[in-house]
Formats: sequence, structure tokens, C-alpha cells
Amino acid sequence: MAAPNRELPGLRFKLWRLADEFRLNFPPMPHRILLFMIEVEQLRKAFGELVAVDGVSFAVQPGELFGLLGPNGAGKSTTIGCISGLLTPTAGRVRVMGHDVVSDGVAARRALGVVPQDIALYEDLSAADNLQYWGGAQGMRDPALRSRIAEVLELTGLQDRAREAVKKFSGGMKRRLNMACGIIHRPKVLLLDEPTVGVDPQSRVRLLEMVRAEARAGTCVLYTTHYMEEAESLCDRLAIVDRGKVIAQGTLAELRSVLGQRDLLRFTGRFQPDAVRRSLQDLEGIEVVQAEPEVLILAAAEASRRLPAIFSALAASEAEVRETTLTRPSLETLFIKLTGKELRE
Amino acid sequence: MRFVLTSARKDLRRLRRDPLALAVWIGIPVIIGLMLTLLFGGGGSPTPHGRLLVADEDESVLSGFLTGSFDRGPMAKMITVEKVERGEGRRRLDKGDGSALLIIPKGFTEAYLRNQPFELSLVTNPSQQILPQIVSETLSMVMDLGFYLQLLAGDQLRAFSGDQGALSDLALSGTILTLRHRFDNLHAYLDPPVIKLKTTVVEQSATASPSFAAVLFPCLLFQSLLFVAMGLSADVWKERRLGTIRRLVSTPAPFSAALTGKLLSVTLVIAAVGVAGLTAGRWMADLHPSNVWAALAWVVCSGAVLFLFMLLLQTTASNERAANLLANLFVMPLMMLGGTFFPFEAMPKQMAAIGRWTPNGWLLLQFKAILDGSMGAGRLAVDLAAVALLGALVFLVVARRLRVKFVV
Repeated sequence: MAAPNRELPGLRFKLWRLADEFRLNFPPMPHRILLFMIEVEQLRKAFGELVAVDGVSFAVQPGELFGLLGPNGAGKSTTIGCISGLLTPTAGRVRVMGHDVVSDGVAARRALGVVPQDIALYEDLSAADNLQYWGGAQGMRDPALRSRIAEVLELTGLQDRAREAVKKFSGGMKRRLNMACGIIHRPKVLLLDEPTVGVDPQSRVRLLEMVRAEARAGTCVLYTTHYMEEAESLCDRLAIVDRGKVIAQGTLAELRSVLGQRDLLRFTGRFQPDAVRRSLQDLEGIEVVQAEPEVLILAAAEASRRLPAIFSALAASEAEVRETTLTRPSLETLFIKLTGKELRE
Repeated sequence: MRFVLTSARKDLRRLRRDPLALAVWIGIPVIIGLMLTLLFGGGGSPTPHGRLLVADEDESVLSGFLTGSFDRGPMAKMITVEKVERGEGRRRLDKGDGSALLIIPKGFTEAYLRNQPFELSLVTNPSQQILPQIVSETLSMVMDLGFYLQLLAGDQLRAFSGDQGALSDLALSGTILTLRHRFDNLHAYLDPPVIKLKTTVVEQSATASPSFAAVLFPCLLFQSLLFVAMGLSADVWKERRLGTIRRLVSTPAPFSAALTGKLLSVTLVIAAVGVAGLTAGRWMADLHPSNVWAALAWVVCSGAVLFLFMLLLQTTASNERAANLLANLFVMPLMMLGGTFFPFEAMPKQMAAIGRWTPNGWLLLQFKAILDGSMGAGRLAVDLAAVALLGALVFLVVARRLRVKFVV
């Protein structure tokens, strides 16, 4: 993990923070300065006996698109909740632009734009009214707010429906407006909690393009998803989360290198785990990821060529194979390799 | 402050998009008021007046005296006597045209003078209750009078019946003298009376008693306030469902400012209800508050504090359904007991005494005092300050409960 902010050049950071305090229209921080907009250190959040987030740490730079990838219930939304101030961390520390979210919450939230997983809009109000209200909640005023509303409506393709009640919108349109309300005030840090869930392909493309545009404009984006394709195509860096813990973190290339360009072979049937391990140990370059009585997962380079040898070895161990799946290296395969289960389980 | 206004504007816009709800909250008390007015009759109505149909088949001096007893003195204000044939009288009474039918049969005078049994028939209209009862009681009193007259001067009365042939001048003079002697003897008891009856006249209020509509009107206005407060407070559950409260917490806007904005929008709605209500009261119930602005200020203040109380109830419940149930469980008894549904004036004394100490009952009483001008400016200021302080305390509790319960 990169060094925390306090080890970075202090004066420049303080000036920038001061400008933000007084809402000066300061240019975004240059990317070359390694200032972390979001710092999460050993974050832990427990709800009674249930530990939803357990020692999560990561940091995100300006203009960076950082993904939190994990299955449902992995702790992604809880992490977002702790960063946005909705939840109070049980332990650990979260800073947004150097402001502690617990002790200096208002300053931290001033820099934040949050797009919640569940659509949070006034359905009986129009799109423009919603933007007016959420812009007002972020401290924006007319006429800047009015011109920004027009800008955001155009960005989301909702300018023709601006005066219509949101309850008449399609799911995709609501998602786009949900996003628009999160970016109305040009936040320096944008938290997106699975913004494309249940969205039609057209709206999804538009939403993802909006996210990229925000990052290009220098906004630090934290994006949670359980769609690995989205994470692969969108994020500069990723943290893979499972059961409240970060199990891998890095750029896409760094994460792929963990797999070593190996394919993943998944067998279902009847297996004797010990016998399978003994039988496969003679085959070079084949790693047993998981061996269970009904599931066997192997990692191997160029696995398709080696299938005859693998089947022979399995036959020798008296295994009964019912189904075989070969998966090319991807985040999905990495997740399976790390957790022994599929991302969408 | 700016976000307070933004928040209030947002809530007013949302209300404007759902005008039906507001119409229902105000409409329910109006409908209840109309029903109660129809049930109990309008206020300030004239003295009830009935029609007594008399089938006088005897057509004698005595039967004339009997029917005359109904259209003399105070009775004349309540009863109009109309002579009819027996058959016509029955038909008209069957149609409900008349309070009662008195049938005086032929031979009534003769039977009375001879002290023989006779029968008078009184048929009453079952759809009326009070006036037929008055007729029946009056007839009974006249009959009692006749009975005592028989006891006193039966022989002399019989002399007039003509049994003993036409009275000679001497016999007539003797009968009259005897009667005079009997009545002179009674003077010892009647003039001055042996029994002195001490009477106390209860002083009538200098002003006319208020009409039923005027008594009912403040209740209806406060009923509207309770309905509006209950309806608008339930909006927090809608906001929770929409996820907007959660989203608001992740913005730098103070949560208390959003709640203040909501309270401001509710206050404006209540002010509109107050203005409409006071105008309607002037028009429909002839209500002229001694200080219109004080009355309006009290309505607004009461409505706002009732809204905060309702909000407290809503945030106490664990879910929307339980909140609705809880709100109804509190509001309905408060309405019944607090003089909002039935006026205190129409309630049993013990119940009214308890009701005056319910929140809405107390607020209503002060409002009535403002209307009739019995509340001075000093007391009004103290009461307004007390209500505002109570409202502020409830506000703080509600803000905390919303922040804790409606976000996580």
C-alpha cells in the first residue's frame, strides 16, 4: 500500500485543503502529486456479532478509478457507508481529502459525491427539482446551480424529461438521474455503489461513460461492483473483497500476474481429494486450487492441450467426472483461485 | 438557513403534486361537521313549533275552553290549534302533518257536568317527540283542574246541566252565591298562600348563547389540524422508503436544517388551513374572533406542535404499518376526549374535565378563549412561548430519532 498523506508535501496539501474549506474554485490536484483522496486504514465495522468489514485498507488517488470487486454481502456497501459517514466505523480510520470522516465529517462530506446502490430520489418531483434539491444540499446556489442542472441533464440525456415526475421514468432513466444527483456539485471524490444494477444496456453504457468522464476530469472515483467485466473495463486499480476482507489488491495487470496467465479448470463429479492430489502431483505446472469430494479446481497454463493427461491422471485416481469447464485468466478466475468459489455465488 | 428554505420548497412542491391528500385531511372534518349539524340541528334555531289538530264534535263552551287552553299564553308560541274533522285529522296526522290530534266526542260537556265518565282521545305523531309530549302534559293538567272543580262545586255544576229543568232566577242566584261562598273559603288558603314558595331566578347571560355551528367550528378546525399533522408526519416513512434520508446524511447539509425545512412547509400548510378555516367560520358560523391574528398565530403554533408530536409517534414505531396503527391509536381517543370530535359543551362533565388536559384539548380551549376575547395579550404570549418551548424539545428528540433510526 502506498504511503499515507501525512508523509506527502505538507504545505501544498494544506493550501489545497484550505481552498476547499472556503469553496474556492481551485483547479483539481495534478495527478503527479501522490495525494490520496480516500484513505482507508484497517477499517472494521461490526453489527453485533456480525463483522461486515474486517481490517480493510486501501487508498485512492485523484483521477483514479478504484474498484471494489466482490460478491453480494462481501462488505462493499458497508465500506462505502463508512466512507460517506452513514456508518460509524467500529475500528480503523477513514479520511477523505485528509479529513477524518468521524471527527471532521462535514468537511469530508463536502468533498464527497455519493451515488447509492438503491435509487434515492423524490419520485413525485421532477428531475430538475431533484437536482435543485440535492445541489442545494451540497451547498450550491443559483445561478451556478441552474446552469449546472442544465449541464448534468444534458450529460444524462434527460433534458427532454426535466420537468416530468421521476415516477414516470424507466429504471435506466432513474439510475442516470441518481448518478446525476451524485455529481451535480462536481465532487472531488465520487463513491459509486453498484450504479449499474438492473440497468438496460443503453443506460449502462451511458453511465459508465459518465464515470470515465468524471475520472478524466480529476475526480477520485471509488466504484463497487460484482460485475467483473465492468471492473475490468473501467478500473485502474482494484481491491477484491470477500467476507469483509481484501483478498487481493492492485492494477489489473498486477492481479493477472498472480494467476500467471494460467487457465482455470473446474470439474464436477465424484472425487477422492487425497487420491486426486497424489495422482496430479506428477504432472508439471498443474496446481490444485481446490479439491472437494464433488468439485475439483485446477490451474494450468495452456490447459486445453493438457486435458488428455489430466483426464488420465483423474481416471487413475478413480475419479468420476461429470462436467468440465475451462476458464481463461480473468478476475473471475482470480476470484475463484483466491476464494475457491465463483463471484456470483 | 438557505437549505431550510430549499428543503421547505421541496416539501411544498411534493405536496402540490398530491393535492388530493390535503383535500381529504381538510374535507373529513367538514363532512363530520355537516353530519353533526344535520343530526343535532343548526345553532340558534327558532323555538320548536307544532300544530294541534282538534276534532271538536261537542262544539260546546267547555270544549271551546279546553281547546283554548292550548293557544293562550306561552303555549301559543309553541302550539297552533287547528280545528278539523275526525277523518281529515287522522289522514293529516298519518302524513305527519301535525304534532297531535285531540278528539273531543259529542256529549263531553254534558258528561263532565253530570260527573259521568267520558273519553278524550289524543293521537300523537310518533315522528315528533317533544311537542306531542307537551300537548299530552297540558291536557292532563286541564283534566286535573276539571277534577278538582268537580270536587269543589259538583252539585252547582250539575245544576247547570239542565237535569232539573231550566233554572229559576232564584235558583241561579243561590247557585252563584254558593259558588262565591266556596271560593271565598278557599281564599284563606290561596290568598295569601299558606305555603310560601321561594323562587330564585337564575340570571341569564347578557349575551346570546352561541349557536351549535359556532360551538362546533373550533372543534372542526382542530380536527383538520390533527388530520393534517398525522398525514404529513407519515411522510418520513415515505422518505425512508425512497432512501432520501440516507442520501441526505452523506451530504454536508445539517440534518436539523432539513427537518426545520419540513416543519416550515408544514407550518405554511397549517397557516393556509387556518386562514381558510377562520374565513369559513366567519361565513358559515358567524364567528368573529376578537383578534384574528392571535387566533391564526395560535392555530399555526398548535398545528406545528401537533405535527411534531405526530412525528415523535411515527419515529417511535419500528415500521410504517406499526406507525400508522400507533398514530391512529393515539389520535382517535385524543379526538374523542379532547373536544375535537364532540365539543366539550356536549360532553359529560367528568369526561370534559379530563379532555381539557389532553394536548389538543388544552390547545383548543386556549383557541376558544382567543375567539371569545377572554385571553389577554400577556397570557397569549406566555402560552405561545410554552408551546414553542415544548415544540423545540420534541424537535430535538425527533431529529435524533430520525438520524439514528431512519438512516441505518
